[in-house]
Amino acid sequence: MSTKEQADRIELLQGTLDVLILRTLLLGPAHGHAIAKAIEFNSDDVLQVEQGSLYPALHRLIKRGWISFEDGASENNRRAKFYRLTPKGRRQLAAETSKWDKLAAAIARILRPAG
Amino acid sequence: MLEDLDRDIRDHIERETEDNIALGMAPEEARYAAVRKFGNVTRMKEETREVWSFVWLEQLLQDIRLGFRMLRKSPGFTAVAILTLALGIGANTAIFSVINGVLLSPPPYKNPQQLIVMKQNDSLPNVTDIQKQAQAFSQGGGINVMPMEYTGGTEPVQVRIGLVNAGFLETLGVQPMLGRIISPGEDVRGGPRFAVVSYPFWQTYLGSDPQAMNKEVLLDGNSYTVIGVMPASFVPPVEHADVFVSLWVGYPGAAAYRGVHFMHTYWRLKPSFTLAQAQQEMATIDHWLAERYPAEEKERKTHLVSLHEWLVGDVRPALLVLFGAVGLVLLIACANFASLLMVRAFAGRQELVIRAALGAGRGRLIRKALTESVLLSVLGGAAGLLFAQWGTSMLLALKPEKLARLSGIHMDTRVLLFVLVVSVLTGIVFGMAPVWIAARADVAEALKESGRSTTASTRGHSIRGILVTSELAVALVLLVGAGLLIKGFSRLRSMNPGFNSANVMTMYLQLPATRYGEIPKQTQFRRELLTRLNFLPGVQAAMVTDIPLGGNYVDHSFVIDGRPPVAVGAEPEVQTLSVMGNYFQVMQIPLRAGRDFTALDREGQPLVAIVNEQMVREFFSRENPLGARIHWARDEGPPHWMTIIGVVGDVKHSGLNQPTDSAVYTPFSQSDEAWRRFMTLAIRARDASPGLVEEVKRQIWSLDGQIPVGDVHAMDELIAVSLAQQRFNMLLLGLFAALALILAAVGIYGAMAYAANQRTHEIGIRTALGAQRRDVLRLVMRDGARIALFGIASGIAGALALTHLMASLLFEVKPTDPATFAGVAILLAFVVLAACYIPARRAMRVDPMVALRYE
Repeated sequence: MSTKEQADRIELLQGTLDVLILRTLLLGPAHGHAIAKAIEFNSDDVLQVEQGSLYPALHRLIKRGWISFEDGASENNRRAKFYRLTPKGRRQLAAETSKWDKLAAAIARILRPAG
Repeated sequence: MLEDLDRDIRDHIERETEDNIALGMAPEEARYAAVRKFGNVTRMKEETREVWSFVWLEQLLQDIRLGFRMLRKSPGFTAVAILTLALGIGANTAIFSVINGVLLSPPPYKNPQQLIVMKQNDSLPNVTDIQKQAQAFSQGGGINVMPMEYTGGTEPVQVRIGLVNAGFLETLGVQPMLGRIISPGEDVRGGPRFAVVSYPFWQTYLGSDPQAMNKEVLLDGNSYTVIGVMPASFVPPVEHADVFVSLWVGYPGAAAYRGVHFMHTYWRLKPSFTLAQAQQEMATIDHWLAERYPAEEKERKTHLVSLHEWLVGDVRPALLVLFGAVGLVLLIACANFASLLMVRAFAGRQELVIRAALGAGRGRLIRKALTESVLLSVLGGAAGLLFAQWGTSMLLALKPEKLARLSGIHMDTRVLLFVLVVSVLTGIVFGMAPVWIAARADVAEALKESGRSTTASTRGHSIRGILVTSELAVALVLLVGAGLLIKGFSRLRSMNPGFNSANVMTMYLQLPATRYGEIPKQTQFRRELLTRLNFLPGVQAAMVTDIPLGGNYVDHSFVIDGRPPVAVGAEPEVQTLSVMGNYFQVMQIPLRAGRDFTALDREGQPLVAIVNEQMVREFFSRENPLGARIHWARDEGPPHWMTIIGVVGDVKHSGLNQPTDSAVYTPFSQSDEAWRRFMTLAIRARDASPGLVEEVKRQIWSLDGQIPVGDVHAMDELIAVSLAQQRFNMLLLGLFAALALILAAVGIYGAMAYAANQRTHEIGIRTALGAQRRDVLRLVMRDGARIALFGIASGIAGALALTHLMASLLFEVKPTDPATFAGVAILLAFVVLAACYIPARRAMRVDPMVALRYE
């Protein structure tokens, strides 16, 4: 990895990571590694997750009741935890998304006033 | 959930490794990349755990552990800080307990805020009239305590009889523990002989018998039926009494007399009335009584005061001054504590700044500093509580008799709370100092300073200077206060009481009314007793109605022969004392003019009297008292003229700090007042052997085995008791002043030693450049001199402003006594210079090479 490449990647802010996890789980239950992969893939590797930080975030979301988990068998019969969005988490995601949209729109207006 | 974390993480890394291998990496490389991408496993695990744990609690425990470790690492600092607080808080709690018990807690009666007392005693007929007329009072009653002999036990004893009306116990609102109290129907002339006994009497003489009702007790030869027992907690407001009987039944002669003002009266205010309204109404009633009964009530002027105020009245100034003193000591202790914490703050400043530079949040730093200082305050508070317990029992051991209510004092929860609040607040307020300073510090600047500091940090230096200066000022105020009290006390002690108390023993006797109702019988007993006592080898005995400092005296109005007549009721009053035997010789009261009584001045002979010098000053300033004639204003029948035959020296009868009253001495044998059946023996023995009291009692009982003996005291003891309150005040304030002096000296020494230590480097340079030891000494001492000057100047200003508050406690000493002020200022200046000299000497011996390397 070159320095240039690293500079382009933005370190995830804590709150953002939470929203990204919720967004990923909207597609369906997934285990930890899959969530990390999905976030990296969907953001074209620009948003680089230090994968370990996924776990405090997952536990935080469980504590708040936004996601739940269950033990399940994954491919090649390995046991793993599957995380699932709860209805409460779904509402939270909706709220966060609209907030984010407003913020993004506002910033966009400021940066490109002439349109 | 958490228990699976390891497995989850392992699983995650394995999947990533597999993905990497699938992308074509070598297995070794693939695993390495996966681990790197995952990040710090340990930190992740910790962060995840934190999601679920009470982080703040763990951090708090961590801070407390760290705090304890820091405190253990510097035992000197810890010990001084805890001791400082313990002394301040301990003294505070002990005094607060006493003040709480005496001043703040109301008297132990029902709705005590409604209770009112008349400052003047009154007679039963007046009490009855007031009860009928006053609208402001719902209830009222009076008591007079009189000794009587109780002959139910093995030897006759003197007990205290509360002669009351039915309203007395009712007004105080205390229910009897057993039985009932005397009802209004029984409180009449010729009523049944009923008695209500106190708890101690019930215990001592009735064997705590629950069936004691209807038992008979023999008082002064009369049989009374017990109808009630008061609870252990009940004590009459002023004087204690063993048995309560109706005044109409126990002493009908006095009950009927309107002019005999001998009852303490208590009144219960109706809720709708104020004290001022009651006082106003009382003035109207006074007027009515004066018009109706001019002979007895002409000069009537009744003052009402709340019972609470009445009870604590004369100890209040002393207690308030002590409270002030304690507050000042706490102030000094806190200033010391603060200054100790500041010193530490500067020592630990580097550490704080580095922590801040490494990203420690301010909140976290504040919490850490607070934990440490609150820890110290709580430890200090706990140690203070031990001091307080010890101090309270010490105060109780020192208490004068007069502060009788002190016996009910113990440390209660309010006191405990008070201590905890004071100690924790101290910690919080002064614990903020280090963080406050660190938070304001410029990190870069502070880190640079860590290298070498040539001069001590100015801001901390000046704050400590202010603390030490104010400590000094406060200590000076306390020392001046104590000094004034000590000076007043020594004046008081060197006061001549007017007699020689050494080797004089006193004993109170009362002749039973049944067998000694007439004066000749009394005189015969007295004469025979004195003859027998004076026959004992080395013993000189005499008797007087009321011994000086014994707390009692009787006043009579009198008329001087040949003077213009005075309106009835407006005659001057003098103290009257009857004596027998060579009283003036025994007490060594000097004869100033004329002659002493002789054995010939007896019944059937011309009536004679001896007066004191005050009487001469007051009534015979322009004529020779010798040969003048006086008589008592209320004599029955024709006046009994007494000729003044001698003048004796003044005696401090009511207390060494009280003015001398005019007094008239007459021979017992010429008395016509049969009710004065009591007497106090004054016995001077060559050596007061302990067997003397027993020998005297043997002589009394060989004359009459049924005579109770009480109040056996050495005269010296009576003097000591009369000085007790002053001694108590002086001792306590002296104790605080000593405490303040020690704390202030420690504080000043600490600050000076620290300042000198900070300047070691500077001193090294100066010495290397050729400064002499004397110059170094001057450098260090100059700081001390400045503090001494400012501290003493502001202390004197403070003391001048405050000492007038204690004027009422001082005996013949002005609150601005220059000698005391100067002495205290010199003492403190000496203490400051001594506290500076030790660190200064150490600084002089500094080896410049060591100092230059020193940080």
